[in-house]
Amino acid sequence: MKIFARLLAATMLVAGVASAAEAKTLVYCSEGSPENFNPQINTTGTSFDAARPVFNQLVEFEPGTTKIRPGLAESWDVSPDGMEVTFHLRKGVKFHSSKTFKPTRDFNADDVLFSFNRMWKEDSPYHKVSGGAYDYFNDMEMPTLLKSIDKLDDYTVKFTLNKPNAPFLANLGMDFATILSAEYADAMLKAGKPEMVDQQPIGTGPFTFVAYQKDAVIRYKAFPDFWGPKAKIDDLVFAITKDPTARWAKLQKNECQVMIGPNPADLDAMGKDPNVNLLSQPGLNIAYLAFNTTKPPFDKKEVRQALTMAIDQPTIIKDVYGGAGQAAKNFIPPTIWSYNDKIEPYKYDPAKAKEMLKAAGVQEGFESDLWWMPVTRPYNPNAKRVAELMQADFEKVGIKTHLVSFEWGEYRKRMQAGEHQMGQLGWSGDNGDPDNFFFLLGCEAARPGGQNIAKWCNKDFEDLFQKAKTTFDLAERAKMYEQMQVIAHEEAPVFNIAHSVVYEPIRKNVTNYKVSPLGRREFAEVGLE
Amino acid sequence: MPAERTAAIAAPKAPPGPFASFFRDFSENRAALVGLILLGLLVFIAIFANLLAPYSPIEQFREFTRIPPAWVEGGNRAFLLGTDEIGRDMLSRLIFGARLSLFIGLSVVVASMAVGIVLGLVAAFAPGWPSIVIMRAMDVILSVPSLLLAIVIVAIIGPSLTNTIVAITVVYLPYYVRLVRASALQEKTRDYVTAARVGGAGTLRIMFRTVLPNCMAPIIVQAALTISNAILEAAALGFLGLGAQPPSPEWGAMLASAREFLQSAPWIVTEPGLAILITVLAINLVGDGLRDALDPKMRRS
Repeated sequence: MKIFARLLAATMLVAGVASAAEAKTLVYCSEGSPENFNPQINTTGTSFDAARPVFNQLVEFEPGTTKIRPGLAESWDVSPDGMEVTFHLRKGVKFHSSKTFKPTRDFNADDVLFSFNRMWKEDSPYHKVSGGAYDYFNDMEMPTLLKSIDKLDDYTVKFTLNKPNAPFLANLGMDFATILSAEYADAMLKAGKPEMVDQQPIGTGPFTFVAYQKDAVIRYKAFPDFWGPKAKIDDLVFAITKDPTARWAKLQKNECQVMIGPNPADLDAMGKDPNVNLLSQPGLNIAYLAFNTTKPPFDKKEVRQALTMAIDQPTIIKDVYGGAGQAAKNFIPPTIWSYNDKIEPYKYDPAKAKEMLKAAGVQEGFESDLWWMPVTRPYNPNAKRVAELMQADFEKVGIKTHLVSFEWGEYRKRMQAGEHQMGQLGWSGDNGDPDNFFFLLGCEAARPGGQNIAKWCNKDFEDLFQKAKTTFDLAERAKMYEQMQVIAHEEAPVFNIAHSVVYEPIRKNVTNYKVSPLGRREFAEVGLE
Repeated sequence: MPAERTAAIAAPKAPPGPFASFFRDFSENRAALVGLILLGLLVFIAIFANLLAPYSPIEQFREFTRIPPAWVEGGNRAFLLGTDEIGRDMLSRLIFGARLSLFIGLSVVVASMAVGIVLGLVAAFAPGWPSIVIMRAMDVILSVPSLLLAIVIVAIIGPSLTNTIVAITVVYLPYYVRLVRASALQEKTRDYVTAARVGGAGTLRIMFRTVLPNCMAPIIVQAALTISNAILEAAALGFLGLGAQPPSPEWGAMLASAREFLQSAPWIVTEPGLAILITVLAINLVGDGLRDALDPKMRRS
């Protein structure tokens, strides 16, 4: 009863917020609680979405596209050899203020230096704050790529690279490259509460952070001194609603106007609802099952190939994704350039899989775990069901699996540490570059704690991956990526499950909302009628 | 011949045996009788699940996902109650689920009753620190909401069927301990106990042979009521993903995994829900009947 009473109270709180809508309030039904409000130390879309209204990057993606446009940097020059990128910063950009902090100066080069040095330099006083793991920064190989970051004057910053890097600019538009306030950080350090920087965010973005209650609600309000076009809504509320059916019920009742991750089973009804616009876009994503290649027998490619053949992929697409997914054969989605369509997917063939397993010395009745994530992801609406289907498939080839899951943060941590044997995860692209997918199979990310959860490090693959990074000719780069897909297909470090079509139902009165191919929720330019 | 006649005449006059009189009282309560019949049916289903279920509860018929029950349009007579989201036969899952739920209920009751009786008797017969330690520990357990406590225990020792049983057993332990201690304290002072003691019976013998049988009535009633609560709580844990792990056909877990089809395929959610409802109702009716029949204060003479 107590739980019900609390739920009721939480619902009423959110409903109360929604009903005070004279000041234009947009409520977004989000899927989970953010770990914190600093994208530098996060890896989940949930946390990025929650921090995005507050922050800006040097460059940013035009909403609804993967195109780069100026952000906090008004313009930039790239030197002819591609080794130096100089950013000219925007002037007169104000930081937010809060109860504990009033900014005394505008945004300048010091903030850029502080933000990158926190992730990069171990002598930065903030490097170890809030766990000090900068997964994105490291997995994008920034530490080896960057030679120096120099402040030329208050509004000019020069990035010097160790080697030319084709995806560099797009990378700086990603959330991890967020610009924090150096002044705020200093103030909190003096106050002895440096982790406040990550909990009570101060940024330059279109909305200021107001309050956050875990598992209930995040509140923002429009920032009147924002440097760009002012937000068209006054208040932005994230109503944290974990259950997709509950989100849909709230959207129907106008308790929220935008929601993430609809149930495939509800899509029909959503399309028919006269008050709802069902937006969709082929997702820039992949859901996969990774085999932990450091643990036998998954270190043998024959075993991985056999398991790939044992999985009945069409059934997963039909029963889990409904109409909202397409079977994957490569690690990158077909909408990305360099997609290798010549790859012949492995055919579902349990008999042959069983033979191959036997030949590879895997005993009948071999036991393995099979991990499934406890939350809906844009690339995988129901990992548990995928796991149950795979469990039955593996049973047929003589492999017993038990299903394992943890709380979402814990789940990723343990999997990145390599505790699993087989486990599901997925990826939504951040910048539309193939590099942004393939790094997940690269050697750098295969370190314990890295995001390569197959822990697979293949020399041929890695060589091509590194070479493609420094090649600026698009056709040549594409060729290398195509070759990498051939290697990944042969080696099968992961089973590519599906690319989902991302659906986002919104109320008809929401204007200018665009589904991002990068799997982001952006409210900077959204209005309400 | 005369002897026989005497017997024939005497028989109706003889007082009915304790069981017969109990059953007479019990069956006067119509609802309890209905509950008993339902429960009997459920137990029968649970025991003979292997023979009764048309299919294995984890077999996936991938061509037949989300088939509605046979009597609804689009139904298939091969799947009387329809199929679930990945094509498993609902009827088979419900039948095996009955076995699982009753097994959980029974295990919890037996375990918490056994441990509770021992602890309760010790607390009653050893009034010093053992009693204080036991009773304060029980107070601590009682002070935490039961489902919350079960969730905490499962979260610590990991989700599985056995751990669910352990968790719920711990949650229900205090009720038995307090009940047993209270009635044992009352019985302890009775003359027959003194008589037994004078007769040379040891403490253990008095605890288990003399006092315990006379405390059984309230314990049995408590047991009957605990079964249904245990089943409900196991379903709640299953719903939260902390109980029996997939693919076992646990009713709570079935409810949870089908939530998203509440609107498009309602039978996948309603059927396990109804199964829980009927089971719990039947057990509660029987429990009420037991209480009425066993409680001397409520017995009509």
